This record gives sequence, C-alpha cells and structure tokens, in this order.
Amino acid sequence: MLQRYWFGDVDEEGCRAAGTDPAALAERAAGLRTGMDSFIPIDWEVARDCGVVRTREEYVDLLRSVCTALARKKIARSYQGRDVELLQMVRMLDELDNVINLLSERAAEWYQVTNPSFSRKYRSLPAKKMLAIIRKGARGGLSDVAEEIERLAGTRSRLMREVSARADEVMPNTSALIGGLVAARLLSKAGGLPALARMPGSTIQVLGSERALFSHLRGGTPPPKHGIIFQHRRVHNAPRPVRGRVARVLAAKLAIAARLDYYRGEAVPEFLKDAQERIDDAGVEA
Amino acid sequence: MIWLGNVLVSPGEGGVYGERTLDGYRVWDPYRSKLAALYTLAGGVELTPGIRVLYLGAANGTTVSHVADYVETVYAVEFAPRPMQDLLEVARRRRNIVPIMADAGRPEEYAPFMEAVDLVYQDVAQPNQVEIAEKNLPFLKPGGHLILMLKTRSVDVRRDPAEVLAEARAGLERRLDVVDVRWLDPYHQDHAAIVCSRR
Repeated sequence: MLQRYWFGDVDEEGCRAAGTDPAALAERAAGLRTGMDSFIPIDWEVARDCGVVRTREEYVDLLRSVCTALARKKIARSYQGRDVELLQMVRMLDELDNVINLLSERAAEWYQVTNPSFSRKYRSLPAKKMLAIIRKGARGGLSDVAEEIERLAGTRSRLMREVSARADEVMPNTSALIGGLVAARLLSKAGGLPALARMPGSTIQVLGSERALFSHLRGGTPPPKHGIIFQHRRVHNAPRPVRGRVARVLAAKLAIAARLDYYRGEAVPEFLKDAQERIDDAGVEA
Repeated sequence: MIWLGNVLVSPGEGGVYGERTLDGYRVWDPYRSKLAALYTLAGGVELTPGIRVLYLGAANGTTVSHVADYVETVYAVEFAPRPMQDLLEVARRRRNIVPIMADAGRPEEYAPFMEAVDLVYQDVAQPNQVEIAEKNLPFLKPGGHLILMLKTRSVDVRRDPAEVLAEARAGLERRLDVVDVRWLDPYHQDHAAIVCSRR
C-alpha cells in the first residue's frame, strides 16, 4: 500500500525520497492528501533508511523547516485579500470614536472646573465647537489636550473617507445598498468577506445585536429586529410598524450582495436596481 | 510534572508570553491554561521526556510552549493565521515543536507529516469537538491518551453545560475508554476535561 509522506513515497518495495531541500519539500507536501482509512503513521526511521536524514534530531529539524515554510505561505495567502486590511481600518475607526468621546467628555469636565460659568445646558454645543472653545479658553495642559483631540478628530474623518472608499471597492454591491461605512462594519463583525458571504440574511440582520439575540434565545425576551444595519437611514428612518420588515428585506438583499461581492467582485446593476426597489417597497406602510 | 510547593512549573527558556519564573522554572498558570488547571486539579496524564504529543488548537503557542518543555516532540496544529504567526515564533525558539497550519477537522491535510503520538491534546472552539477528536484517532498509539478540553459554550450556548458534557462523554465512549471527567472550576467556567485512553 503506497503511503505518501512529506519526505517521500513509501511502499512494500521501498522508499523514494523527495530530496532534502525544505522549499521543494514544502511545495510537494502542499499537494499531498491522505485517505485517513489507509493511513499509516510515519516511522521516522523509514526516513533515515531512505537517506533523507541521519538522526532523529535531523528528522525533526527538517520537518520543522518544511512545516514552517508551508505555514508562512498559507499565512501570506490569507492576508492577501483586500478585505483583510479593510477589517483593521474599520476596527481602528470605531476605536478612534471611542477614544475621542472619552477624551472629549473628560476635557469638558475639566473645563467646567476651571470656568465656573461654563455649562452645556440649554445650548446645542456639538463636541467640535466645544473643543474649539476649550482650546481658546483654557490654558496649559487642557488647551494642549483639546488641540490633540481636534487633531485626532481630523484623523478620524480622513480614515472614515478611506474606509468608505475601500469598502466601495472591495464590496461594491453591499456598499451600494447600505453605504460604505456600514458595509465595512458588517464586514468587521462577520470577520471577513468570505465569512460574510456565507451568512444567511437572518444572521446579517442581527449582526451587532448579539446581546439581545442571546437573551432572546436563552430567556425568551423579544428578538432583536436589527443590529448594525440599524445605522443605515433606511432602517432607522422607517416608521416603527414597518421597521422590522425593512430590516429583514434589506438583510436578505445584503446576503445576496455579499455573495456577489465575494464571488464576482463587481457591481451588478440589474440586481441593485431590483433590490433597491424591493427595499423601498418594504418601507411603505400598508 | 514539576511542582515547586504547590506551583506548577515547567523547565525551559522563559519570556514566551511574560510568564513569571521561579527558581529558573517557568510558572504555568492554571487560570490561563486549561491544561495547567487540569494538573492543578490533580487530573491529567503525566508528561514525560520520551513522549510525542499532537496538540490540536495550538493558538498562540502559550500552553504549547509548556508542553514542549516536558516532552520529546509536539505537533502543534492551528488554523487561524493571526495566532499562527505567534506560534511560528514560539516554534522557532523551541526545537521540538512542529508547527502545522491546518484545520484540525481535516486530518488528511496534515497526515503526511504525522507519526504516531502518545498523547492527543485537543482544545478547539468548535461545535463538533467530539467528531474532531474521533477523526484524529489514527494518530494515537494504542494505549495512548486523549485529553479533550470540552468548551461546552462552543457546542451550544443554549444548552445546559452538564448535558453537553454527558453527550460528549457518550460520544467518546464509542471508541475510547473514558478514564477521567472533571470540570475546570474555579479556573475556567463551563469547560470540562475528558481524559480517555485508546483501546
């Protein structure tokens, strides 16, 4: 019975070695598949008798270099996809949001202590304006901090545009339906385009509302209607009675869009037109 | 196993993940490693210098490095690229670790690299953990041991962990003798260790 091992082929008549060059061995080994029913574990002494190695130590060393070479190749391949970097970009963006909010809150608290007449009540004071006030009004460290936060906010806006543009390129159909940013967040939650493309619509619908979903599955609370896709205006602007329906229809179309993005990689106008109409219809109250 | 007082340690070069050292030994923390928890709870299979181990779900190579301190050779199988990068670095410095990037549920992919082992250690977050263990039995010598770290939450979050454990145990008993079953409380929640031996 022929056994194909990483160092060569072995059968009753003997052993044919495949050389001792790790790169060549790795290449050969990448193509090997073994039927588990007829598999016989390697006896390293066969590799020695075959002339591939002389000692047990050499055997393990050579095997290690072959496996390491193979693993490096596989890692490189899995990082090749354009979606892999997008994933990191969108996670960084969300992290920046968190950090900027935390810092702004703290800066506002600090400023209030130094300036007893300052209050945010009864005035619509967006964070951006408030930071400008603090930067001008405060002195020393607080002013510096406000300036840094503003700079960070600028970085965030640029990164957001980058994320959006990259999402349009990596997932054109999904982005067309729900916008680049939300599409990228879906991607991040799913863990990659291949994973997103394999998800059913019902899963996409509740991505990002895991807490509500599991409390529903465990304790029978009402199921969540929407997760991340709530961030899209078509869902959050929809009248309450039809919001669930919009989320469901949108998610179903997103599942198709993600598959188109993964397997075709280009925008499909006919699909997008139909899908947009269908989603718009879902938002009309009966 | 080596104990300094009641602290589990392993011999070997330190600094793999910022672990503490004690008298030149590396402290093996039961709160971080499920295998260390099993030994701390007085279970498990003694790791001796002669044995060969197949480690499924090697992750970043933290526990793998401790196992490698004790045994002759460790075949470390991991599927995900990010932890694999760390594992390669650990394997570079420990010459008895063979890093294999493959899916533990598809042993035909790494069978061409495998010799028979004395111990299969499995710690994978998959719903079909018992099935994966069964698929890897051809690598285990008769009389050898399987340690399966059952992550009951990975099997099904909605079900009672005790029920999941009972089912896994019954599944394993089809082809193995179950030697020991225990929960890893208080070190790890909803994780159980099942130790089996091959007939």
